[in-house]
Amino acid sequence: MKKIWGTALALTLTAALTACGSSGSNSATTANGTNSGTAGDNGKSGAPKELVISTWGFSEDFFKEAVYAPFEKEHNVKIVVEIGNNAERLNKIRQGSSNVDVIYLSDYYAQQGINEGLIDTIDTAKVPNLQHVYDIAKAPLGEGYGPAYTIGRLGIAYNPALVKGEITSWKDLWTAFDRNLTLPAITATAGPMMVDAASVVAGNTDFNEDQAFAKLKEINPSVIKYYSQTSEYVNMFSQEEIAGGPIMEMYFKDLQAAVPDAKFVAPSEGAFAVMNTINVVKGTDNKELAEEFINWQLSKEVQEKSAKAKVDSPVNTEVVLNEEEAKGVTYGADVVGKLRKLDMKFVNDNIKAWTDRWNKEIGG
Amino acid sequence: MNKRYLYLLLLPGFLFLAAFMLIPIILTIVSTFMPDGSLTLEGYMTFFRDGYFNKILLTTLRVSVVTTLVCVVLGYPAAYYISRAGIRKKSILLALSIFPLLTSPVVRSFSWMIILGKKGLLNTFLMNIGLIQKPLEILYTPVAMMVGLVHLFLPLIIITLLGVMENLDYELVRAARSLGASSFTAFRKIIFPLTVPGLIIGSILVFVGSLTAYTTPALLGGKERVVATFLYQNAMTLNDWQAASVIAVIMIVITFVVVGLMNAWANRLNPKG
Repeated sequence: MKKIWGTALALTLTAALTACGSSGSNSATTANGTNSGTAGDNGKSGAPKELVISTWGFSEDFFKEAVYAPFEKEHNVKIVVEIGNNAERLNKIRQGSSNVDVIYLSDYYAQQGINEGLIDTIDTAKVPNLQHVYDIAKAPLGEGYGPAYTIGRLGIAYNPALVKGEITSWKDLWTAFDRNLTLPAITATAGPMMVDAASVVAGNTDFNEDQAFAKLKEINPSVIKYYSQTSEYVNMFSQEEIAGGPIMEMYFKDLQAAVPDAKFVAPSEGAFAVMNTINVVKGTDNKELAEEFINWQLSKEVQEKSAKAKVDSPVNTEVVLNEEEAKGVTYGADVVGKLRKLDMKFVNDNIKAWTDRWNKEIGG
Repeated sequence: MNKRYLYLLLLPGFLFLAAFMLIPIILTIVSTFMPDGSLTLEGYMTFFRDGYFNKILLTTLRVSVVTTLVCVVLGYPAAYYISRAGIRKKSILLALSIFPLLTSPVVRSFSWMIILGKKGLLNTFLMNIGLIQKPLEILYTPVAMMVGLVHLFLPLIIITLLGVMENLDYELVRAARSLGASSFTAFRKIIFPLTVPGLIIGSILVFVGSLTAYTTPALLGGKERVVATFLYQNAMTLNDWQAASVIAVIMIVITFVVVGLMNAWANRLNPKG
């Protein structure tokens, strides 16, 4: 029988190891270009410096061509890209085992980084393009910290054939759906927004946690799944597992590709601002270069290109889009002016408690 | 050469395991008992007092047990059949049963979404033949999770059982038959006890695999959560590594308890194994 113990243990461990291997494959780190080695460290003039940028990796080809390549050329830099989701990349910096100079993060995770002293302030004088940026995007996480380089909005998308009536308000999530609704998971970027929306629907102007959770409990039977990734939403929507739910406007084009009649609305109480920030990591040796890069990311040129490619909604007010170009993009001072913005400090202070409460009371 | 030096051959493997597995696991376990330097069980008490955690622990155990049972029920006859087949047929059948292991769990889960969804193959078929009027809700329930897990782990139990069954001496069965045993008795008294080791190893693999599976429950399960996805939530999105470590240790302990229980059971069925 001893043999069985041994074999079983060995097999179990093998299984565990292979399981780890396959689940980790999405966090691959890619080096952009060929000489990602020590080219920047040899100090010879003419050899390009190295700038390490940590980002999500979506629309990688676009970024390479329209954002990184021109910057590399102009500043004689070699840009190296590290890819992963917000949490993975922030953890890397926490552990101090990374040499990232510039980091793209959603506002929620950037706030965590700031709270833990991982993010450096920037010298706004070195980022002149900041003056062309919406006020709300200039320093969303506090004076001196990095800007939001894109503002999207979270509204409601739905399949008109599957819901009762037209949807115009956050309230309609409670009435128009019947076991075919998806909501963001509490730990997703949009999770805390949903908590706030529930508080609004309960009739509060100021945030009321108890009433928000009571409302969320009320809607739970109608929810088929709480999504953590937008790809899950898109998939459920195209399979008609769901009739709709809150989603970021930038992904609406994917929904429309599957369901041409699909609609996106900014609820009357206000859609939520979803901001992605760009920041300098504390301890970088390339601070000025990093600031240059942020300035470049905010430039009219980059902002316009990414809006037209429908990669990111612009924050630069000088960007002009025609109607076709603005489709699916959060664009215009009037649109941005109406957005609801969550206080990320408040969200970060409360997220653990909210998650516990959500788990217990709603069980998603 | 002195035989004692042969142990040196173990050294590289042992060092690798020690550095990358044993030490991290031990550190993880120790950290859960001393979050701030002093010995405490508080981390565990919080979890076991927490009704929500107990609920997902139960869901996970239920899903794992059912998955294991279904795998045994489906895998045992299949393995037996394959082991008795001719050489050509055997290699084809073996390749077919291993085949699912070669695709990623993500791909497999997506194909189950297409099959089990409201507009999926299964519901469309059942509605077309008039058996049901409204689509069944299977996707995003624990049932879908179990279907996905059975698909994922059935090959493992077939392979382990096959290894044992191929080494069976079928002369024993003939001897039993010649002495008047019915074929059922011969199976019950000879084949089954001799295959118990394979059954145990296979079941342990399936059980532990289901207990720790992340991708399949995350994609096919709906609002019901399992321990692995809960661990992920704590570690990756809440950045609470302390809680994540406690959950990990609880999973390790469950694994060892299950392995122990299964061995005790195997000893009773097959004391000489």
